[in-house]
Amino acid sequence: MINEPQLHGSKTEELIVEAGEALRRRKPSRMVRIGDHVKREWQLYLMLLPTILWLLIFLYKPMYGLQIAFKDYSIFRGVAGSPWIGLEHFQTLFGNDQFLRAIKNTVIISFYSLIFGFPMPIILALMFNEVLHQTFKKTAQTIVYLPHFISSVIIAGIVITAFSPSAGIVNTVLEWFGGESIYFLTRPEWFRPIFVGTGIWQEAGFQSIVYLAAIAGVSPTLYESAVVDGASRWQMMWKITLPSILPTIIIMLIIRIGNMLEVSFEMIILLYQPATYETADVVNTFIYRQGIQGGQYDLAAAAGLFNAVVAFVLVMTANTISKRYSRTSLW
Amino acid sequence: MRKLTLTAALCASTVLTAQALAQEDLRIVEEPLELTIHMHWPRAQGYDENYAVEKAAREMTGIHLKDATAGRNSTDSIEAMNLLLAMGDMPDIVAGHLIQQPVNQYGPEGAFLPLNDLVKEHAPHIQAFWDSHPGLQEAISSYDGNYYYIPYLPDGEFGRAWYIRQDWLDKLGLEQPQNVDEYYEVLKAFREQDPNGNGLKDEIPYFARQWEDVNRLLNLWDARSSGSDTYHDFYVNDEGKVVHPYAQEAYRVGLKNIAQWYKEGLIDPEIFTRGSSSRDYLLSEDLGGSTHDWFASTSGYNQALADKIEGFNFIPFLPPESAGGVRMEEHRRIPIKPDGWAISYSNEYPVETIKYFDFWFTEEGRLLANFGVEGETWDMVDGEPVYKPEVLNSDSPVNSQMYLVGAQIQRGFLQDYRYEWQWTSEPARKGIELYEANDLLIDQFLGVALNEEEQAVYDKYWPSLRTYMLERQQAWILGSGDVEAEWDDYVSTLNKMGYEDVIEVMNSAYSRQYAG
Repeated sequence: MINEPQLHGSKTEELIVEAGEALRRRKPSRMVRIGDHVKREWQLYLMLLPTILWLLIFLYKPMYGLQIAFKDYSIFRGVAGSPWIGLEHFQTLFGNDQFLRAIKNTVIISFYSLIFGFPMPIILALMFNEVLHQTFKKTAQTIVYLPHFISSVIIAGIVITAFSPSAGIVNTVLEWFGGESIYFLTRPEWFRPIFVGTGIWQEAGFQSIVYLAAIAGVSPTLYESAVVDGASRWQMMWKITLPSILPTIIIMLIIRIGNMLEVSFEMIILLYQPATYETADVVNTFIYRQGIQGGQYDLAAAAGLFNAVVAFVLVMTANTISKRYSRTSLW
Repeated sequence: MRKLTLTAALCASTVLTAQALAQEDLRIVEEPLELTIHMHWPRAQGYDENYAVEKAAREMTGIHLKDATAGRNSTDSIEAMNLLLAMGDMPDIVAGHLIQQPVNQYGPEGAFLPLNDLVKEHAPHIQAFWDSHPGLQEAISSYDGNYYYIPYLPDGEFGRAWYIRQDWLDKLGLEQPQNVDEYYEVLKAFREQDPNGNGLKDEIPYFARQWEDVNRLLNLWDARSSGSDTYHDFYVNDEGKVVHPYAQEAYRVGLKNIAQWYKEGLIDPEIFTRGSSSRDYLLSEDLGGSTHDWFASTSGYNQALADKIEGFNFIPFLPPESAGGVRMEEHRRIPIKPDGWAISYSNEYPVETIKYFDFWFTEEGRLLANFGVEGETWDMVDGEPVYKPEVLNSDSPVNSQMYLVGAQIQRGFLQDYRYEWQWTSEPARKGIELYEANDLLIDQFLGVALNEEEQAVYDKYWPSLRTYMLERQQAWILGSGDVEAEWDDYVSTLNKMGYEDVIEVMNSAYSRQYAG
């Protein structure tokens, strides 16, 4: 490193250095290699640093607190000072029908969100890709992105108003067609469609950006040769665009499955009623009602831990399956 | 009251000497003493050292409160309290909104000082209040028999009242309903006879800002909806046993009738989703006919809507007599709030602090805590504290003005109803007089302090039970279930879910707490 300035001068010396590096790569210890690597690519590591710190502070350090799931936790005594009670909180949870119901609802709502919500951004992205009129495309994109930036509270307000039996647009339209007005938000059978639909409306547009970016990365030469071969636009979409963005789709799917049980519970809290708990109460809302409002942090931690374990198993399974059959995986 | 008049007379006649004397009496410490305070409450997340009231109290007592409030970035006082406890570094005084549950839970663990002996020895005014109001000290005690905070004690009795559109009654030629059947007929007439005269049957006969207030209708069939000013609370039945209203036979009858009223459109069909703006909306759109809501704020609409709706007259009427012939108003102001202040374990001056708490129960302290500083916001007129005209006629409500100077904030003090009466509107005053003239109030359930074992039982069963009760309740009102058909199942499910266990711990705590 001392004679660095001269290195750029001569080609032979460059070769010598390369050879030296090749040698070093074989013998020195791993630590030295990593140290060298860091020195060389320090800008990249610097960029990585904030994320690592964030992970450590906000995701790893709090794991220390997870132990309260196995303790009789008192805020005043603190995490360390509270006595251990083993699996009592888990026994309480699994002895509670409402917790079991919440698990069932979480899985069902997540599953609906996945099968109805996951394809939507892809379809949207493909559609945007086919639009030729630029102004129309930009306007349409802005309109579908917009709900993502609106607070859940306002979205919930819009939904409540839209489904109101007296003034809501949904019931007004129903009545035009001779139907009877329905008090949607108190009907358990309507909660899931409304919730999943709201989620799609709110997020599909924004999520399509990833796929649009992937589509932009597809080599134009593929399309050019397809045009020469006389392929229709439909065929190009099926045979070129979709297969090209398939790895992106699968990565997104695995991530999505990992987050599957993270139902956006703030939206559920804003929309549900005791009358719809039957289909609407998910693990997170159960935790909120039982744990946070009732001050039972230890029980809430146990429920949260259980949720995390299930999510972990799901993402591992999805990743393994994907690795085996499509050779695309997160790690 | 006599004592107050005497002090006032003294003040009026020999202002200087009296004040000098008073100050000497009230002084707690020779050298100024600083104490830190956590005070988190809905109107402000902190204690302002520049409150006029704080400055005056500092002059009189020599004790200076310095703000050390945790969790200022949240408006949730419970969250702020939890944060404070978790940080472990406690200020001398912990005050504010909803402190009862945490002080009673963490007091016995050592986070707060028990006040029984401190008050007995050093706080004669507070002790005198306990002595003259039996039962209250027990009500705020923790399970170990000690009490850990000095509460904010509201004055005045009535909170909510039954309201009706008198101008609609007049228009349809109806009288104020005196019993449940007449009330039914009136609501039905509102529904069918188009009292707002717009040609549409769009009237909403009964509505409520909080959907839970639909349960007040249960009273009309001799059932209860709650035992306190908190919704869905337990109550003490005629045999002196703590029970839950939603597990009683009367509830079945009451709910069946409410479901029927809902089906007939007498109750706001959107009552569960309309939310807190429903009163604003339904009254200003000339749609709402009757409700159960707070005296002061509800009567305020008469003035606000006078120009918009011709003849608008929304007034309190007596609670309709129930099917069993009882007239009662279930809601009243609770005599003790879970708000107030406590002394933390790290306070090095507990005696001075309790003397300071006692100061707010002296006549001078009470006037200061209720009305602000004399001469600034009020004057003594014929022995009565009277607000200055600029305070009463200001655009901002009197309570908001008081909060700004540090009066009426959630320290431990005894409220003086004369404060509110001065700015209560005329229709509400009439209503309160009407309610006072009839013996309508019933005893409140002031809660129990559960010990650790009892708390564990309660925590295990109660949240789920409550969820189940509310689920069935809404389903029955909405008509997706039938209370008559499902009642036996409902009762046996409650028992299976631990209702009896919860009642047992509630009663063991109740008899321990209120036996003496």
